[in-house]
Amino acid sequence: MEKLLEIRSLSVDFRTPRGRVRALREVSMVVPKGKIIGVVGESGSGKSTLIWTIMRLLAVNGTVENGEILFDGGNVLEFDDNRLKGFRGEKVSMVFQDPMTSQSPVLDYRSQFTDILYRRTEMSRRERLGKAIKMMNRVGIPDSEKRIYQYPHHFSGGMRQRAGIAMALLMDPSLLIADEPTTALDVTMEAQIIHLIREARSEFGSTVMLVSHNLGLIAELCDEIVVMYAGEIVEHADAHDIFFDAKHPYTKALIACNPALDLEMEGQFPTIPGDVPDLHQSPAGCVFAPRCAFSDETCSKERPAYSISAGKHSEVVDHSVRCHLYCPDKGGKTKHDLTALSLNAAADRTRSEIAHCDEADELLSIQDLRVRFPTMGRIKALAEGVDDPFIDAVYEVSLGLRAGETLGLVGESGSGKTTLGRAIIGLNGVHSGSIKFKGSELVGLSQNQYRKVRRDVAMMFQDPVGSLSPRRTVGQLLTEPFLIHGIEKGSQRDQAARLCEMVSLPANFLSRYPHELSGGQARRVGVARALALNPALIVADEPTAGLDVSVQGEILNLMLDMQAAHGLGFLLISHNLPVIRHVCDKLAIMYLGRIVEYGDCEQVFRNPAHPYSQALVRGTPQPDPTRRRQLVSIEGEVPSLSNRPGGCEFHTRCPYSGERCKYLVPEPSLLADGRTVRCHNPLAE
Amino acid sequence: MAANSFDRPMRPAMEKWHLFFRNGQGVLGLILVALFFASAIFAPWLATHDPTKLDIPVRLAGPSLDHWLGTDQLGRDTYSRVLYGGRVALQVAAIGVSTSLLIGLALGMIAGYGPRWLDNALLLVFDTIRSFPTIVLSLAAVSLLGPSLNLILAVVIVTSIPGYARLARTSTLALKNSEFILAERSLGAGSTRTLAHHVMPNVIGPLLILAAMDIPVVVTIEAGLSFLGLGVLPPTASWGTILNEGYLVIRTSPWPVVAGGVPLVLATLGFTLLGEALRDVFDPKLRSQR
Repeated sequence: MEKLLEIRSLSVDFRTPRGRVRALREVSMVVPKGKIIGVVGESGSGKSTLIWTIMRLLAVNGTVENGEILFDGGNVLEFDDNRLKGFRGEKVSMVFQDPMTSQSPVLDYRSQFTDILYRRTEMSRRERLGKAIKMMNRVGIPDSEKRIYQYPHHFSGGMRQRAGIAMALLMDPSLLIADEPTTALDVTMEAQIIHLIREARSEFGSTVMLVSHNLGLIAELCDEIVVMYAGEIVEHADAHDIFFDAKHPYTKALIACNPALDLEMEGQFPTIPGDVPDLHQSPAGCVFAPRCAFSDETCSKERPAYSISAGKHSEVVDHSVRCHLYCPDKGGKTKHDLTALSLNAAADRTRSEIAHCDEADELLSIQDLRVRFPTMGRIKALAEGVDDPFIDAVYEVSLGLRAGETLGLVGESGSGKTTLGRAIIGLNGVHSGSIKFKGSELVGLSQNQYRKVRRDVAMMFQDPVGSLSPRRTVGQLLTEPFLIHGIEKGSQRDQAARLCEMVSLPANFLSRYPHELSGGQARRVGVARALALNPALIVADEPTAGLDVSVQGEILNLMLDMQAAHGLGFLLISHNLPVIRHVCDKLAIMYLGRIVEYGDCEQVFRNPAHPYSQALVRGTPQPDPTRRRQLVSIEGEVPSLSNRPGGCEFHTRCPYSGERCKYLVPEPSLLADGRTVRCHNPLAE
Repeated sequence: MAANSFDRPMRPAMEKWHLFFRNGQGVLGLILVALFFASAIFAPWLATHDPTKLDIPVRLAGPSLDHWLGTDQLGRDTYSRVLYGGRVALQVAAIGVSTSLLIGLALGMIAGYGPRWLDNALLLVFDTIRSFPTIVLSLAAVSLLGPSLNLILAVVIVTSIPGYARLARTSTLALKNSEFILAERSLGAGSTRTLAHHVMPNVIGPLLILAAMDIPVVVTIEAGLSFLGLGVLPPTASWGTILNEGYLVIRTSPWPVVAGGVPLVLATLGFTLLGEALRDVFDPKLRSQR
């Protein structure tokens, strides 16, 4: 095994006003040539610090305390400026998480590409351009001769990320570092990018270091996996060994928490109790000990050493793990039966317990809802002779939700799911159709009349911290609903304390500000605030986006508990299919503002009837390295709303589309199991 | 209202002051501003002479035990004139800036948060006001209504409102569609509540800085107008008149210019430092970064 890059006991500190943060502690790893190595960890695990240290791009308050990074016979940390220039970009290049912010918005791709080639003075301008176009072609950007003269804002998210990968590959680097390359993308785009990275490896023989929190992505792509926790590497092994023979309790917990696991999981989500430790002091013992189900006294006092054994699934890669359980001199401990690792053993919360109400109790019923946005001013439209200066964000949508039920609304970005959610609570105007809540019509209510509705319908927004007013304390935020609606129920402080307790936040959080909360804590405040007035319906827009998997489980459990206790109806908007599968009773799949499939959640997942549903269901990367997909499920991207395809909207990307699909809009048809689907040739009867 | 019982008890004001006093520059600013206020308020007790009393024989004298900062070209005591001049400056600065800040904040938030037509109408008004040079506007006003301190104040307020309003409007527009504002609306909060409780605290920070920086500008406007004979009428002392009269005799005696200029510089510095320190203390986000 040839080493491309070796990191030896690297320690990095950050100076902060509250003292030193030991962000990385004695991290050692080898990146072998020609492999894809995955670095997994939750937020705060130090995975970003690691890559910034490799690139020598640490923030000014960060210092390398110890260790070396060996590359090409030298220590990267000691490279002079000249050698560093050759190292960055030429030897090692990066693909960033968000292509929108990592590409210059004021330069066209031609100048961005040729800028990267500035050190190749032997190449003429024309040769450089030719090379750039060739590379764009290779990553699957059509018409690259023309498109290279366009700017990043002309490209869609997926195309932009392709261009980002092309830029990274342009100098033929020996190491490609990809930092969460698909996190900002939709499921179908993610599948395409995974495919592209795999191709790049086989075509260019690049070595890839993939940093992600997404276990599915890591399982799809990586040969070797490094698991990081709180600034340390806790386990390093072959991908198969990690997924089938994980040793460290943290790795096991992380894998168990992933909702994409194809288990028939009903009831509670597994979670990892506790929080990531405060790294202001270096922990005396094992970093994971406070949250570990197997920890004992030794764990919290002594730092475990790496114990290395031969990998079960690989002869080349050793399986090293930093845990006392596997220390040879503490042989007695290994008799723990680790296979029966119970993570907050699932309490049986069966769905039937929740009293399903009969038809009469329809909580929310939407009929033929249409929401449209103007694309230009009225006068401009008149001047330019445009008859219909509108786009339909939500088009002929009909849905129903009963008390105690959870309806999932799934679609890629631009499908109109958020608009639909906001229309229900009256934040968006409605063009036509009807929204009935508990039998009374909401469309056409004035803002004043809507206030009463908002006592009964609460909304949770995507960004856990950003949806809390930044200058208000948690206490003020929690009592706000009572003040708005003029409800005097005991003292405000008692109310806030009660809500805090309900979502199990400590009472001293009442005086904190939103930016002092972690994502999970802020989300708890959001849940508490949504529940403050005992609403009947909660519209939750991506309630777990931006949360780590271990926290995601906690929030979902909390929401399910609240639903069971109060008989709430939930409308859950998400692009995360695994979560939806575990939580929802009914599922609606949206594409370009239309519902293409609507029905029982489990049925849709088992046997999707619409080709788009099928693509979404199959598109989720599974945390299982033996089930790597060979083919991309659907090609292309979501068309723009202003350019709605005629006939069936999906026909441009549909692998099954026929002649009829191109001009005839399919009407919703009813399947035997009660699902409705908008397709001429449904995949299920 | 029993509202927001969390304001004080849970996060005591003490903590904010504690944070403030850790900031050395802020304390310096506070001291300078306090000195400015004290000297202006207690001018009658601190002054050694009547600021308007002429004493031609000792004109343009240097500092002495009797005249601490010397005398001007008419033999008036410069020290006492500086103290009384501070009163005029304080009046114009405090009243002018605070009034325009409040009006500008309210109009700006309404323009940013309200309907489009209102925004356009208000912007037109702001831009119209801004297109008049301040001096020309005051000349016109003075020739119509006659010179007075109140008129200067009115001109200062009207001409500085658009600056605050535009700043408040821009920040409000940026906040208007942020998730926490949508979240408030989804809870049923009305526009007044949203603006007062959620938009205002996030918008006011930059405005306070602008106000602190505006105070010296306002003081100079007053000085300039007084120089032209359109503001404070002689023999009333103001820093502007001291400076401008001193300028004429700077070759014979530099003392009046120094005595008029130094307090102006110190007051400017004090307000600037204080403004920045207050911003840091009242913005919880900035606080955690320090």
